[in-house]
Amino acid sequence: MSTASSRFLSERVRSVGVYVALYGAAAIFLVPYAYMVSTSIKPEQFTFTNQPYWIPPEVTFRWYDAVLAGAPMVQWGINTFIIAATTTVLVVILDSMIAFSLTKLDWPGKRIVFTVIVASFMVPVFANMVPLYTIITDFGLINNPLAVILPFSAMPIGVFLFTQFFSDLPDSVIEAAKLDGFSTFQIYYKIVLPLMKPAIAALSLYTFVYTWNQFLWPLIVLQGQNQFTLPVGIVTMQPTQVFQPGAEMAGTFLAVLPLFVVFLVLQEHLVNAVQMQGTTG
Amino acid sequence: MATEDNYSFIGKLRAVDLRDAETRDGILFALPYLALFSVFLLYPLLKGFYMSLFAWNAFAPAQSEFILFENYTRMLSDPEFWKSVRATVVFVVLTVPTLVVLGLALALGVNRDIKGKRVLRTIFFSPYVLTVSVVSLIWAELYAPQYGAINYYVGYLVSNPPAWLNSFTWAMPAIALATVWWTVGFNFVILIAARQSVPERLYEAARIDGASSWRAFKDITLPQMRSAIVFVTTVQFIWSFQVFGQAYIMTNGGPGNSTQTLVMYLFRMAFNEGQFGYAAAIGYFLFFVLVAVSLGNYYFVSGGTET
Repeated sequence: MSTASSRFLSERVRSVGVYVALYGAAAIFLVPYAYMVSTSIKPEQFTFTNQPYWIPPEVTFRWYDAVLAGAPMVQWGINTFIIAATTTVLVVILDSMIAFSLTKLDWPGKRIVFTVIVASFMVPVFANMVPLYTIITDFGLINNPLAVILPFSAMPIGVFLFTQFFSDLPDSVIEAAKLDGFSTFQIYYKIVLPLMKPAIAALSLYTFVYTWNQFLWPLIVLQGQNQFTLPVGIVTMQPTQVFQPGAEMAGTFLAVLPLFVVFLVLQEHLVNAVQMQGTTG
Repeated sequence: MATEDNYSFIGKLRAVDLRDAETRDGILFALPYLALFSVFLLYPLLKGFYMSLFAWNAFAPAQSEFILFENYTRMLSDPEFWKSVRATVVFVVLTVPTLVVLGLALALGVNRDIKGKRVLRTIFFSPYVLTVSVVSLIWAELYAPQYGAINYYVGYLVSNPPAWLNSFTWAMPAIALATVWWTVGFNFVILIAARQSVPERLYEAARIDGASSWRAFKDITLPQMRSAIVFVTTVQFIWSFQVFGQAYIMTNGGPGNSTQTLVMYLFRMAFNEGQFGYAAAIGYFLFFVLVAVSLGNYYFVSGGTET
């Protein structure tokens, strides 16, 4: 009886401890967001004070005006969207085509091709940076969105994930379609793609977010201010010449906003996409 | 099974017969991706090695001087290179274990029967969707010595709080902490999935046997989640070893190059100093380190799991 109650008590204590630890951690996780938002709406006299005014005594939106007037934020947002969206479309189309070919069609040499693609996972993006830069220069693509889109579309992860999913698709489905007189393209387009919608949704979102967030490579190949993406632009901008935390945080908030809305709406898909990597990788 | 065959290393070779419809279609479907892959991944990889053998002339590549392995021997005796390796290793040591342990703790916590799981998951995962520049700018504000929020509170605990990003001692740990906040969500969601795939009956059996929760953790949770833990550790190592953006934006390598990481040194050599050959050699060094780590982990996993 007494051991049972002490066990019950220790279970209680433990569960209270878990709540405190998890919600405490969550509160700490939110601090940087709170700091960004509150700094972006503080008047200047409250940004340089020692005391952090989490809720500013006075609210101003002048930093937002300053950033929007002083830096081409909207242009950067459009550039980033074009790059991320084009890359996503290319990745989904090209990767699903080759994955279909590697899993459902038989041709000599495909195992070598698959092996090479899988092995290329180990090439760290940054190790390839210098030769890739010379190639982009030779093609005359410096300052062109294609300089970001093409290398990111060549990454092997989508091919690998799609082959994992496509190989789960029973061959009998393909055989039946063949007997019904479907061409290879019709099988791909009318049967495989519709059945793979969840995998396509997850990979699309992952590719979009990944490309949207790239910093180093766009920094290297996009050199004109009007070609910048948001991640590069917000680092280089100095809207008021004099350094101002309020302006910086307003710019940061504007850069975060679009993708954060996408995340809050579609987070289930994004979590799935990330977990796909962990379970198939 | 066709899937099984995909994993055999090379398989039977036979002549390509383009009159065969399936062969033709197969190649046609593979070709568009393979074209991009060859031009933007394989070719640069080979060209990088080629470039690393030259004192590369960025303006007139044809006039580059062939120097064999001189870039590599220079690298091995370059103190600044080793300093950047050291900074990178410090960053890896600070981040990788923290990210794995914290990711696991959060995953196991949220896996328990508690209220608000979804909200907690959103909060812990959310920084992962931010771009490195946003993360770096916010944290640089938080760390600001005069007016940053962190020193307002640290000032209550110690009389002379450090100027985080300007301090030889604290700059790298400060960058590491921001990185942990930013990326732990990745490990967290992968480890939740792994924990959920552990059969509950194992825990029920342990409960009936009267095993303590520590025993259950040690003898069930950890071994069952082994491959997921090895996976996140490997991925984190690969990412942390390539750290660039955080250090570039928050400290630009300072103070005194103490946070100049390997990729930052590579970047500087290539794009500030124009030494493409030398930078390509550093890229190859990076490549070999990461291949070695990936293969090592692969054998560690496949050698340890019973099949």
